[in-house]
Amino acid sequence: MRLLDWIVLLGTLGFIVIYGVWKTRGSKDIEGYLKGDNSMKWWTIGLSIMATQASAITFLSTPGQAYEDGMRFVQFYFGLPIAMVIISITVIPIFYRLKVYTAYEYLESRFDLKTRSLAALLFLVQRGLAAGITIYAPAIILSTILGWNLTLTNLFIGVLVIVYTVSGGTKAVSVTQKQQMAVMMGGMLVAGFMVVRYLPESVSFGDAVAVAGKMGKMNVVDFSFDWNDRYNFWSGMTGGLFLALSYFGTDQSQVARYLGGKSVGESRLGLLFNGLLKIPMQFIILFIGVMVFVFYQFNQPPLFFNESAKDKVYATEFAPEMEALEEQHTALFNQKQEAVHGLVAALRTDDETAIAAAQAEVQGITDASKVVRNDVKALIAKATPDAETKDTDYVFISFVMKYLPAGLVGLLLAVIFSAAMSSTASELNALASTTVVDIYKRSVKKEKDNFHYLRASRVFTAAWGALAIIFATYASLLDNLIQAVNIIGSIFYGTILGIFLVAFYVRYIKGHAVFIAALMAEAVVLYCHFYTDIAFLWFNVIGCVAVVVFGVIIQFFIGQKDDRTYA
Amino acid sequence: MKETDSKPAEELEKPPFFKNWKSMYWLVLGNLAFLITLFYIITRIYS
Repeated sequence: MRLLDWIVLLGTLGFIVIYGVWKTRGSKDIEGYLKGDNSMKWWTIGLSIMATQASAITFLSTPGQAYEDGMRFVQFYFGLPIAMVIISITVIPIFYRLKVYTAYEYLESRFDLKTRSLAALLFLVQRGLAAGITIYAPAIILSTILGWNLTLTNLFIGVLVIVYTVSGGTKAVSVTQKQQMAVMMGGMLVAGFMVVRYLPESVSFGDAVAVAGKMGKMNVVDFSFDWNDRYNFWSGMTGGLFLALSYFGTDQSQVARYLGGKSVGESRLGLLFNGLLKIPMQFIILFIGVMVFVFYQFNQPPLFFNESAKDKVYATEFAPEMEALEEQHTALFNQKQEAVHGLVAALRTDDETAIAAAQAEVQGITDASKVVRNDVKALIAKATPDAETKDTDYVFISFVMKYLPAGLVGLLLAVIFSAAMSSTASELNALASTTVVDIYKRSVKKEKDNFHYLRASRVFTAAWGALAIIFATYASLLDNLIQAVNIIGSIFYGTILGIFLVAFYVRYIKGHAVFIAALMAEAVVLYCHFYTDIAFLWFNVIGCVAVVVFGVIIQFFIGQKDDRTYA
Repeated sequence: MKETDSKPAEELEKPPFFKNWKSMYWLVLGNLAFLITLFYIITRIYS
């Protein structure tokens, strides 16, 4: 990294942190600290919601995903706008009427204390682990690419977030997220512009998109139905809707964003703003990945984008094999150059026969290159068994580091750090508010003054931040850690969603029934995890459906004796 | 009694640009339908 990059990176992050602390200084009570005095306007809420969802991995992985698999990942977000409308109509008015600080607080008025505490505890376990990964995942990639110390990178991200989140609470999170979103989108648009500019002079933007299309990367929508296909229109509209409802409706890191709104209307507009812009935003990020793919049709890509993993093989007895694969890779690229230019020329003629012939030639070489890349992955796994053989997360950052000029590298790194910080800040804020409001204030220290709970909120924010850093620091000691955390999340998420689904839509079921149903559902999910081969993503559905089904059965046997009033 | 009298306060708050929230929701859903159609056309043109 050059001096200008350091200035841009540290200047951008420093400004955001100092601005966040200064702008939100002097929170005097828990209302201001955890709900931002209900002063947030809709654009702040909307940007804050988008920044919370967009973690560093979004900006590192998504372009890589498009490079490998094309645009079709955008379909995953098709259910999100529908979820925003449903939550705006049903969830927001209830939360506002009850003046809740957390989503789980609502469960006490709808059911009882034990159900509220259970949901809060399930959230704390799941989100507490996720906060560590939100820091660790970008830190491991950045430290690998830049040669930085992993522990220091973890500490750098974690401490910056703790500074302004402890100081200004939820308002600081939302205020800084506005700047972070501006940096993220500005940086990505500049990167997109640069990658198109770096295409050969003889290749226009239209040629680039046409080449991407002929190489299967412009596959944005697929209406065919296939259970085994992860991303198509149907899975996006159903699974995407289901996930968005649970994430935006029951996860405190998102609920806190819109609970800080000035009014129901501001909160609704914030969510609808996300519903309007989320898909175009993901489309742009994916499209940048596709343009990086086209760029590498005219410029030789690395044999393996995580070059540090490849270099480690050169230090072993397998070095000659790696050298041979490098030679094959270069030869295939040189061969491909002619074929790709031939495809561009054919596309300009509109001659379908010529286009099909050129496309087949390019495809043949691409398939051969894939075989070489798979051989490289197998060799890396053989030579260094602990190494990660998936390199798509390194595609975009590798392009940034190698081709962007001084200053822009710093800006793109600021994008990644901003994304890591924005989602971590929301998580720490949500963890602290749930700990204080749903556990500490409700069940541990009930009769303290406002200042006591404000101080407790700050202490818990710092404590959760420290825990996240510690978890991120030791994360590398575990194998497949990201998958492990996803599994843990799926184990709890379904049950939490089931409880909320019953709370909002199944009025027949009451407190005792839903509590027992939630415990039974959790037991079923745990049984599935330990004793079956069911894929962990299904745990979300199983947990949710089990809560509803068990709830109905148990309520039937208990009878309608519970006379708790509904919200 | 007027219909609006029985509505909770938050229902009375108007969204910007539109007369009621229903129109806002249709805007979001209409935008989704427009994007899916646009993406479908892009897929067809460039495949």
